[in-house]
Amino acid sequence: MTVGLEQYIAVSAALFAIGFFGVLRRKNTLVIYMCLELMLNACNLGLIAFSRYHGGMSGSVFVFFTITVAAAEVAVGLAIIVALFRKRQTVQVPALNALKN
Amino acid sequence: MPTDTLNSLGEIAATNTWGAIYPEMILGCLALLLLALEVILPKFAHGAIPRIAILGQVLLLGYIVIFDVSGGSSRVAFGGMVELSATTQALRIFFLLASIFVSYLAMVSFENKSLARIEYFAITLVVTGALSIMAMSNHFVMLFVALETATVGFYVLVSYFRQNPLSLEAGLKYLIMGALSSAILLFGIVLLYGAASNPALAGSSLDSMNFQNLRVFLEANPTDTLAIIGMLLVISGVAFKIGAFPFQIWIPDVYQGAPVPTTAFLAVSSKAAGFAVLLTLVKTFAPLSNVLIPVLSGIAALTILFGNFAALTQRNLKRVIGLSGVSHAGFLLIGVIAAQSVPEATNWVLFYLFAYLLGSMAVFAVFAHLPKAWDSDLDLDDLGDLAKRNGFLGIALAIGIGSLAGIPPLAGFIGKFLIFVAAFKAELFTLLGVGIVGVVVSIYYYFGVIKAAFFEVWRFTDENEESGTPSALPGATLTALGKLTIVVAIAGSVVLGFFQGPLGSWLSGQ
Repeated sequence: MTVGLEQYIAVSAALFAIGFFGVLRRKNTLVIYMCLELMLNACNLGLIAFSRYHGGMSGSVFVFFTITVAAAEVAVGLAIIVALFRKRQTVQVPALNALKN
Repeated sequence: MPTDTLNSLGEIAATNTWGAIYPEMILGCLALLLLALEVILPKFAHGAIPRIAILGQVLLLGYIVIFDVSGGSSRVAFGGMVELSATTQALRIFFLLASIFVSYLAMVSFENKSLARIEYFAITLVVTGALSIMAMSNHFVMLFVALETATVGFYVLVSYFRQNPLSLEAGLKYLIMGALSSAILLFGIVLLYGAASNPALAGSSLDSMNFQNLRVFLEANPTDTLAIIGMLLVISGVAFKIGAFPFQIWIPDVYQGAPVPTTAFLAVSSKAAGFAVLLTLVKTFAPLSNVLIPVLSGIAALTILFGNFAALTQRNLKRVIGLSGVSHAGFLLIGVIAAQSVPEATNWVLFYLFAYLLGSMAVFAVFAHLPKAWDSDLDLDDLGDLAKRNGFLGIALAIGIGSLAGIPPLAGFIGKFLIFVAAFKAELFTLLGVGIVGVVVSIYYYFGVIKAAFFEVWRFTDENEESGTPSALPGATLTALGKLTIVVAIAGSVVLGFFQGPLGSWLSGQ
């Protein structure tokens, strides 16, 4: 079997779905954060695959922007998580429920 | 190296007209200047830096309004990355105005708090520039990068009160929700790119993330499944930003926990940028409108109903305003849908946004002047007897809330009226009915806020005196600058309500 565009896109969609349900289901903030990164990387894989098989470079170039954006997001996000851990001594989502109706 | 490639690169380079984005570049430079000043100036002079930020923005706004209000002719720049038009120029003015108000609110909120301050103003400037570019974007790469610049800035602004666990928790919630929506948006872009770059299909293009090229492709293939899924994902991602149902879950929590200036910034600028993008995207996705319009209509109706009914039971002030903002997003969505068949409705959406800006800023300015250690705890009781204890703030609150509620003759009324006219002209009768129900329901909770400020006796004097902390009067920190800012906001709401004369031709779409 040769690996073609469909296989790459299927893997990309599967990774995206795993990340998405991980964000919804997991309780630990850090794991949720990893799932978010997984979703972004699924997008990167899709961009590269489309770019490679359809010709044209814009998809490949876009990947550089997504990687940069993801790095910026991690830098700020981890800072917030650490600051919150210092205040509350937990990063479990069910315990972080001070804001409620 | 083929000379063709070099020539086309040369053509693209020739469109890099930096003058086209001078306001955004000035904002960026001003942000850097603030950070430099923090290092250069001695400690006692740091109080001047926020004033420099506000002054710089006022000068820029004045220059644009006086010399460049129409923004020149519609044109694309930077190889099709951004598209400038009268609409984007109006939005540019909108974001600048909002950012001036936000900077002022930040000055008030940060008094008596031991926090790093200058960064807040610098980040506000950068985010404003990013939102403005987002409104101009004409290419998915530009859109995504501008959106993320703004969103990452907002993560910091939401969790800025880092001694307050509520602010941090709101920051975390916004972080997860914002990153999730960005990822969904990005996956939508990937699918659209994949569909529109397929050389086997008619109308495909090598640069298929450009909105014009994408539209050409969609006109040739209006039933492409991949493109339709991609479009729905992109619209979901944008719906997160504007807080439309069912993606509004983050709004009450984040609005409550965030500092008042950030809440105002999120409610006004971030939402407006989302709508600017939505207006562009609805034009781009016009060939798919048999799928898009029913989806957007359903979202609009549910957003209006959810926002208004959820706000009924709230007591926390910022949650009330946040949920009312959800219903405003629903009204604006009606305008966006109507703009498909009624072209001048685009300008009516902008008018609504300006009315919403002025009303919200008056209300948030009052919130910023209420005495409370952390503004996330403000609730209806804190307004108790505000009108007697500080008449000026009482009037400002009444006019702001009245404009948000759409009480004639304030600007908010004209805004809602124009949206309903647009819905009527576009024959969206169901949405029109839902909108009117929403307005009626909203009067109840808006009146609840007014009632708390005007007719309820303040109950907490004794309690505070017993615990030994004499309670500060609301508006004790009100300065001349503050009075001027609030007067501008309420005067704008009143004047725009009575008199739209100079905007007449603009509003009728000429």
